[in-house]
Amino acid sequence: MSDVTPDTAPGVGARRGRHRARWIAGFVLVVLAALVGLLATRPPATATEVYTPLLGKPAPGISGKTLAGARFDLAADKGRWVVVNFFASWCPPCQEEEPELVSFAFQHRSAGDAALVGVDCCGDATSSARDFEASAGATWPALVDPGGQIALQYGVRDPPETFLISPSGEVVAHFDSGVTVAFLDQQLTAARAAGL
Amino acid sequence: MSPPPRPWAASGLVWVALALVLAGALAFSVARSSGTLTPSERAAALDADLKCPSCESISVADSTAATAASVRQVVLARVRQGQSDQQIEQFLVSRYGPSILLRPPVSGLTALVWVVPLLAGAGGLGGLGLFFWRRRRPVVVGVTAADRALVERALAEDAGGGAPSRSGP
Repeated sequence: MSDVTPDTAPGVGARRGRHRARWIAGFVLVVLAALVGLLATRPPATATEVYTPLLGKPAPGISGKTLAGARFDLAADKGRWVVVNFFASWCPPCQEEEPELVSFAFQHRSAGDAALVGVDCCGDATSSARDFEASAGATWPALVDPGGQIALQYGVRDPPETFLISPSGEVVAHFDSGVTVAFLDQQLTAARAAGL
Repeated sequence: MSPPPRPWAASGLVWVALALVLAGALAFSVARSSGTLTPSERAAALDADLKCPSCESISVADSTAATAASVRQVVLARVRQGQSDQQIEQFLVSRYGPSILLRPPVSGLTALVWVVPLLAGAGGLGGLGLFFWRRRRPVVVGVTAADRALVERALAEDAGGGAPSRSGP
Protein backbone atom coordinates (compact mmCIF):
# COMPACT_ATOMS: atom_id res chain seq x y z
CA MET A 1 0.00 0.00 0.00
CA SER A 2 1.26 3.48 -0.87
CA ASP A 3 1.93 6.14 1.86
CA VAL A 4 1.21 8.93 -0.52
CA THR A 5 -1.72 11.03 0.64
CA PRO A 6 -3.79 13.11 -1.79
CA ASP A 7 -2.07 16.29 -0.52
CA THR A 8 1.42 15.06 -1.17
CA ALA A 9 0.76 13.09 -4.35
CA PRO A 10 3.19 14.00 -7.09
CA GLY A 11 1.79 16.74 -9.34
CA VAL A 12 -0.81 18.03 -6.86
CA GLY A 13 1.40 20.93 -5.72
CA ALA A 14 2.20 21.87 -9.30
CA ARG A 15 -1.49 21.77 -10.25
CA ARG A 16 -2.32 24.04 -7.30
CA GLY A 17 0.43 26.45 -8.33
CA ARG A 18 -0.93 26.64 -11.88
CA HIS A 19 -4.44 27.13 -10.53
CA ARG A 20 -3.29 30.03 -8.32
CA ALA A 21 -1.32 31.58 -11.19
CA ARG A 22 -4.45 31.46 -13.37
CA TRP A 23 -6.44 33.27 -10.67
CA ILE A 24 -3.77 35.95 -10.26
CA ALA A 25 -3.48 36.41 -14.04
CA GLY A 26 -7.28 36.67 -14.30
CA PHE A 27 -7.38 39.26 -11.52
CA VAL A 28 -4.65 41.37 -13.15
CA LEU A 29 -6.49 41.13 -16.49
CA VAL A 30 -9.76 42.35 -14.92
CA VAL A 31 -7.99 45.28 -13.22
CA LEU A 32 -6.26 46.26 -16.47
CA ALA A 33 -9.52 46.01 -18.44
CA ALA A 34 -11.25 48.23 -15.86
CA LEU A 35 -8.42 50.77 -16.06
CA VAL A 36 -8.49 50.85 -19.87
CA GLY A 37 -12.29 51.23 -19.80
CA LEU A 38 -12.05 54.07 -17.29
CA LEU A 39 -9.44 55.97 -19.30
CA ALA A 40 -11.21 55.40 -22.62
CA THR A 41 -14.57 56.66 -21.38
CA ARG A 42 -13.17 59.59 -19.38
CA PRO A 43 -14.26 62.96 -20.73
CA PRO A 44 -11.41 64.97 -22.28
CA ALA A 45 -9.62 67.52 -20.10
CA THR A 46 -11.74 70.63 -19.99
CA ALA A 47 -10.56 74.17 -19.72
CA THR A 48 -10.41 75.76 -16.31
CA GLU A 49 -9.90 79.36 -15.36
CA VAL A 50 -6.60 79.76 -13.57
CA TYR A 51 -4.90 82.69 -11.89
CA THR A 52 -2.35 84.77 -13.71
CA PRO A 53 -0.52 87.80 -12.31
CA LEU A 54 -1.63 89.60 -15.49
CA LEU A 55 -5.31 89.62 -14.45
CA GLY A 56 -6.69 93.16 -14.61
CA LYS A 57 -3.46 94.45 -16.13
CA PRO A 58 -2.83 95.67 -19.69
CA ALA A 59 -2.23 92.73 -21.99
CA PRO A 60 1.41 92.51 -23.05
CA GLY A 61 1.86 93.57 -26.65
CA ILE A 62 1.82 90.95 -29.36
CA SER A 63 3.34 91.88 -32.67
CA GLY A 64 5.34 90.14 -35.31
CA LYS A 65 5.00 87.84 -38.26
CA THR A 66 2.24 85.32 -38.67
CA LEU A 67 2.78 81.78 -39.93
CA ALA A 68 1.43 83.02 -43.28
CA GLY A 69 4.12 85.71 -43.37
CA ALA A 70 1.85 88.71 -42.72
CA ARG A 71 2.51 91.41 -40.11
CA PHE A 72 0.31 91.45 -37.02
CA ASP A 73 -0.14 93.85 -34.12
CA LEU A 74 -2.55 93.19 -31.26
CA ALA A 75 -2.97 96.94 -30.76
CA ALA A 76 -5.01 97.02 -33.98
CA ASP A 77 -7.68 94.88 -32.28
CA LYS A 78 -8.26 97.34 -29.44
CA GLY A 79 -11.97 98.03 -29.03
CA ARG A 80 -13.14 94.44 -29.32
CA TRP A 81 -12.75 91.21 -27.38
CA VAL A 82 -9.68 89.20 -28.26
CA VAL A 83 -8.99 85.55 -27.46
CA VAL A 84 -5.26 84.83 -27.48
CA ASN A 85 -4.51 81.13 -27.79
CA PHE A 86 -1.02 79.75 -27.17
CA PHE A 87 -0.55 76.41 -28.90
CA ALA A 88 1.99 73.98 -30.26
CA SER A 89 1.42 71.44 -33.01
CA TRP A 90 2.97 68.64 -30.91
CA CYS A 91 0.54 69.10 -28.01
CA PRO A 92 -2.44 66.65 -28.03
CA PRO A 93 -4.89 68.99 -26.16
CA CYS A 94 -4.07 71.67 -28.76
CA GLN A 95 -4.98 69.19 -31.50
CA GLU A 96 -8.24 68.39 -29.67
CA GLU A 97 -9.26 72.03 -29.27
CA GLU A 98 -8.34 73.10 -32.81
CA PRO A 99 -11.75 72.21 -34.40
CA GLU A 100 -13.45 74.14 -31.57
CA LEU A 101 -11.31 77.19 -32.30
CA VAL A 102 -12.13 76.90 -36.00
CA SER A 103 -15.87 77.02 -35.11
CA PHE A 104 -15.37 79.88 -32.65
CA ALA A 105 -13.42 81.95 -35.19
CA PHE A 106 -16.02 81.33 -37.87
CA GLN A 107 -18.98 82.27 -35.65
CA HIS A 108 -17.42 85.40 -34.24
CA ARG A 109 -15.85 86.61 -37.45
CA SER A 110 -19.31 86.88 -38.98
CA ALA A 111 -20.63 88.58 -35.81
CA GLY A 112 -17.53 90.80 -35.63
CA ASP A 113 -17.61 90.91 -31.82
CA ALA A 114 -14.47 88.93 -30.96
CA ALA A 115 -11.18 88.12 -32.63
CA LEU A 116 -9.02 85.04 -32.23
CA VAL A 117 -5.23 85.21 -32.30
CA GLY A 118 -2.91 82.23 -32.09
CA VAL A 119 0.68 82.18 -30.88
CA ASP A 120 2.78 79.19 -31.85
CA CYS A 121 4.91 78.65 -28.80
CA CYS A 122 6.97 76.37 -26.66
CA GLY A 123 9.62 75.11 -29.01
CA ASP A 124 7.27 74.24 -31.86
CA ALA A 125 8.82 74.12 -35.33
CA THR A 126 7.30 76.80 -37.57
CA SER A 127 6.87 74.39 -40.49
CA SER A 128 4.98 71.91 -38.25
CA ALA A 129 2.78 74.72 -36.92
CA ARG A 130 2.06 75.93 -40.46
CA ASP A 131 1.00 72.40 -41.53
CA PHE A 132 -1.04 72.01 -38.35
CA GLU A 133 -2.97 75.24 -38.90
CA ALA A 134 -3.48 74.58 -42.61
CA SER A 135 -4.76 71.03 -42.10
CA ALA A 136 -7.22 72.23 -39.44
CA GLY A 137 -8.50 75.03 -41.65
CA ALA A 138 -7.46 77.79 -39.27
CA THR A 139 -8.25 81.22 -40.67
CA TRP A 140 -7.13 83.44 -37.81
CA PRO A 141 -3.67 85.00 -37.52
CA ALA A 142 -1.21 82.71 -35.75
CA LEU A 143 2.07 84.30 -34.81
CA VAL A 144 5.55 82.88 -34.84
CA ASP A 145 7.16 83.29 -31.40
CA PRO A 146 10.92 83.26 -31.88
CA GLY A 147 12.68 82.50 -28.61
CA GLY A 148 9.35 82.08 -26.86
CA GLN A 149 9.35 85.74 -25.82
CA ILE A 150 5.61 86.34 -26.41
CA ALA A 151 4.79 83.23 -24.36
CA LEU A 152 7.11 84.46 -21.61
CA GLN A 153 5.42 87.87 -21.53
CA TYR A 154 2.14 86.02 -20.84
CA GLY A 155 3.71 83.57 -18.36
CA VAL A 156 2.75 80.56 -20.48
CA ARG A 157 3.92 77.29 -18.96
CA ASP A 158 2.31 74.50 -20.90
CA PRO A 159 0.13 74.82 -24.02
CA PRO A 160 -2.72 75.13 -24.68
CA GLU A 161 -3.27 78.28 -22.64
CA THR A 162 -5.81 80.92 -23.60
CA PHE A 163 -6.23 84.52 -22.50
CA LEU A 164 -9.32 86.69 -22.82
CA ILE A 165 -8.57 90.34 -23.46
CA SER A 166 -11.20 93.03 -23.00
CA PRO A 167 -11.92 95.78 -25.55
CA SER A 168 -9.97 98.15 -23.29
CA GLY A 169 -6.91 95.90 -23.63
CA GLU A 170 -6.90 94.30 -20.17
CA VAL A 171 -6.39 90.62 -19.42
CA VAL A 172 -9.68 89.47 -17.89
CA ALA A 173 -9.25 85.68 -17.82
CA HIS A 174 -6.73 82.93 -18.32
CA PHE A 175 -7.71 79.36 -19.21
CA ASP A 176 -5.68 76.20 -18.93
CA SER A 177 -6.22 73.09 -21.11
CA GLY A 178 -8.26 72.86 -24.28
CA VAL A 179 -11.18 75.26 -24.74
CA THR A 180 -14.48 74.65 -26.52
CA VAL A 181 -16.81 77.05 -28.34
CA ALA A 182 -19.39 76.70 -25.58
CA PHE A 183 -16.79 77.42 -22.89
CA LEU A 184 -15.41 80.49 -24.66
CA ASP A 185 -18.90 81.85 -25.38
CA GLN A 186 -19.84 81.37 -21.75
CA GLN A 187 -16.71 83.23 -20.63
CA LEU A 188 -17.33 86.05 -23.09
CA THR A 189 -20.95 86.41 -21.92
CA ALA A 190 -19.85 86.45 -18.27
CA ALA A 191 -17.16 89.04 -18.93
CA ARG A 192 -19.59 91.28 -20.84
CA ALA A 193 -22.16 90.94 -18.05
CA ALA A 194 -19.50 91.95 -15.51
CA GLY A 195 -19.02 95.14 -17.48
CA LEU A 196 -15.37 94.45 -18.23
CA MET B 1 67.12 67.92 22.84
CA SER B 2 64.01 70.11 22.52
CA PRO B 3 61.11 69.58 24.89
CA PRO B 4 58.01 67.84 23.47
CA PRO B 5 55.32 70.28 22.19
CA ARG B 6 52.67 71.11 24.67
CA PRO B 7 49.24 69.68 23.68
CA TRP B 8 47.48 73.04 24.07
CA ALA B 9 49.90 74.59 21.62
CA ALA B 10 49.15 71.91 19.00
CA SER B 11 45.39 72.30 19.38
CA GLY B 12 45.79 76.08 19.22
CA LEU B 13 47.53 75.78 15.86
CA VAL B 14 44.65 73.64 14.56
CA TRP B 15 42.15 76.32 15.62
CA VAL B 16 44.18 79.04 13.96
CA ALA B 17 44.33 76.98 10.73
CA LEU B 18 40.58 76.40 10.84
CA ALA B 19 39.91 80.10 11.39
CA LEU B 20 42.15 80.98 8.42
CA VAL B 21 40.31 78.50 6.14
CA LEU B 22 36.96 79.88 7.27
CA ALA B 23 38.02 83.48 6.72
CA GLY B 24 39.36 82.57 3.27
CA ALA B 25 36.08 80.88 2.28
CA LEU B 26 34.08 83.87 3.53
CA ALA B 27 36.30 86.33 1.68
CA PHE B 28 35.95 84.25 -1.49
CA SER B 29 32.14 84.13 -1.29
CA VAL B 30 31.92 87.86 -0.50
CA ALA B 31 34.18 88.64 -3.45
CA ARG B 32 32.01 86.51 -5.74
CA SER B 33 28.80 88.19 -4.62
CA SER B 34 30.06 91.77 -4.65
CA GLY B 35 29.80 92.56 -8.33
CA THR B 36 32.86 90.82 -9.65
CA LEU B 37 30.73 88.41 -11.74
CA THR B 38 30.50 88.67 -15.49
CA PRO B 39 26.97 89.10 -16.97
CA SER B 40 26.92 85.43 -18.01
CA GLU B 41 27.95 84.31 -14.50
CA ARG B 42 25.30 86.56 -12.94
CA ALA B 43 22.66 85.26 -15.32
CA ALA B 44 23.69 81.66 -14.59
CA ALA B 45 23.48 82.30 -10.84
CA LEU B 46 19.97 83.75 -11.30
CA ASP B 47 18.92 80.86 -13.56
CA ALA B 48 19.87 78.42 -10.80
CA ASP B 49 17.38 80.12 -8.45
CA LEU B 50 14.49 80.14 -10.94
CA LYS B 51 12.09 77.27 -11.49
CA CYS B 52 11.61 76.01 -15.02
CA PRO B 53 8.02 77.18 -15.82
CA SER B 54 6.92 73.96 -17.53
CA CYS B 55 8.79 71.45 -15.34
CA GLU B 56 8.07 69.93 -11.95
CA SER B 57 11.01 71.05 -9.83
CA ILE B 58 13.99 71.70 -12.05
CA SER B 59 15.78 75.00 -12.16
CA VAL B 60 15.89 77.07 -15.33
CA ALA B 61 19.65 76.43 -15.39
CA ASP B 62 19.20 72.65 -15.41
CA SER B 63 16.23 72.36 -17.76
CA THR B 64 16.30 71.81 -21.52
CA ALA B 65 12.62 72.83 -21.92
CA ALA B 66 11.77 75.59 -24.40
CA THR B 67 10.20 77.70 -21.63
CA ALA B 68 13.41 77.49 -19.59
CA ALA B 69 15.44 78.54 -22.63
CA SER B 70 13.17 81.59 -23.02
CA VAL B 71 13.69 82.52 -19.37
CA ARG B 72 17.47 82.11 -19.69
CA GLN B 73 17.39 84.40 -22.74
CA VAL B 74 15.39 87.13 -20.98
CA VAL B 75 17.50 86.92 -17.82
CA LEU B 76 20.74 87.37 -19.76
CA ALA B 77 19.26 90.23 -21.80
CA ARG B 78 18.09 92.03 -18.65
CA VAL B 79 21.42 91.46 -16.87
CA ARG B 80 23.15 93.04 -19.85
CA GLN B 81 20.71 95.98 -19.67
CA GLY B 82 22.01 96.54 -16.13
CA GLN B 83 18.92 95.45 -14.19
CA SER B 84 19.40 94.23 -10.64
CA ASP B 85 18.68 90.63 -9.61
CA GLN B 86 15.61 91.86 -7.75
CA GLN B 87 14.26 93.71 -10.80
CA ILE B 88 14.67 90.62 -12.98
CA GLU B 89 12.99 88.38 -10.40
CA GLN B 90 10.16 90.91 -10.01
CA PHE B 91 9.57 90.91 -13.77
CA LEU B 92 9.38 87.10 -13.89
CA VAL B 93 7.07 87.01 -10.85
CA SER B 94 4.82 89.55 -12.62
CA ARG B 95 4.43 87.01 -15.43
CA TYR B 96 4.53 83.57 -13.78
CA GLY B 97 3.72 84.37 -10.16
CA PRO B 98 5.95 83.73 -7.13
CA SER B 99 6.19 80.02 -7.92
CA ILE B 100 8.85 80.87 -10.50
CA LEU B 101 11.26 81.46 -7.59
CA LEU B 102 12.95 78.37 -6.22
CA ARG B 103 13.83 80.34 -3.07
CA PRO B 104 10.59 81.63 -1.55
CA PRO B 105 10.68 85.31 -0.54
CA VAL B 106 10.97 86.14 3.17
CA SER B 107 7.57 87.82 3.44
CA GLY B 108 4.01 86.97 4.34
CA LEU B 109 3.14 83.30 4.68
CA THR B 110 6.19 82.16 2.74
CA ALA B 111 8.34 83.59 5.54
CA LEU B 112 7.21 80.56 7.54
CA VAL B 113 9.27 78.37 5.21
CA TRP B 114 12.37 80.14 6.51
CA VAL B 115 11.30 80.86 10.08
CA VAL B 116 9.83 77.47 11.07
CA PRO B 117 13.02 75.43 10.43
CA LEU B 118 15.06 78.06 12.29
CA LEU B 119 12.66 77.99 15.23
CA ALA B 120 12.58 74.19 15.20
CA GLY B 121 16.39 74.07 15.15
CA ALA B 122 16.66 76.60 17.97
CA GLY B 123 14.02 74.73 19.97
CA GLY B 124 15.81 71.42 19.45
CA LEU B 125 19.18 72.87 20.50
CA GLY B 126 17.56 74.55 23.52
CA GLY B 127 15.92 71.29 24.55
CA LEU B 128 19.18 69.41 24.18
CA GLY B 129 21.02 72.05 26.23
CA LEU B 130 18.37 71.89 28.94
CA PHE B 131 18.58 68.12 29.00
CA PHE B 132 22.39 68.11 29.49
CA TRP B 133 22.21 70.95 31.99
CA ARG B 134 19.74 69.01 34.11
CA ARG B 135 21.88 65.88 33.90
CA ARG B 136 25.00 67.73 35.08
CA ARG B 137 23.25 69.58 37.91
CA PRO B 138 23.86 67.89 41.29
CA VAL B 139 20.70 66.37 42.63
CA VAL B 140 19.82 67.85 46.00
CA VAL B 141 17.37 65.75 47.93
CA GLY B 142 15.73 67.50 50.81
CA VAL B 143 15.22 65.24 53.85
CA THR B 144 12.35 66.27 56.05
CA ALA B 145 11.84 65.54 59.74
CA ALA B 146 9.10 63.05 58.82
CA ASP B 147 11.61 61.19 56.60
CA ARG B 148 14.11 61.00 59.47
CA ALA B 149 11.45 59.76 61.87
CA LEU B 150 10.42 57.09 59.38
CA VAL B 151 13.98 55.85 58.96
CA GLU B 152 14.62 55.85 62.70
CA ARG B 153 11.44 53.88 63.31
CA ALA B 154 12.39 51.33 60.67
CA LEU B 155 15.88 50.95 62.12
CA ALA B 156 14.44 50.52 65.62
CA GLU B 157 12.07 47.84 64.38
CA ASP B 158 14.90 46.16 62.59
CA ALA B 159 17.06 46.16 65.73
CA GLY B 160 14.18 44.98 67.92
CA GLY B 161 13.47 42.02 65.60
CA GLY B 162 17.02 40.71 66.08
CA ALA B 163 18.07 41.38 62.59
CA PRO B 164 21.73 42.20 62.08
CA SER B 165 22.57 45.85 62.29
CA ARG B 166 23.17 47.52 58.90
CA SER B 167 25.71 49.86 60.35
CA GLY B 168 28.08 47.01 61.11
CA PRO B 169 29.65 45.88 64.35
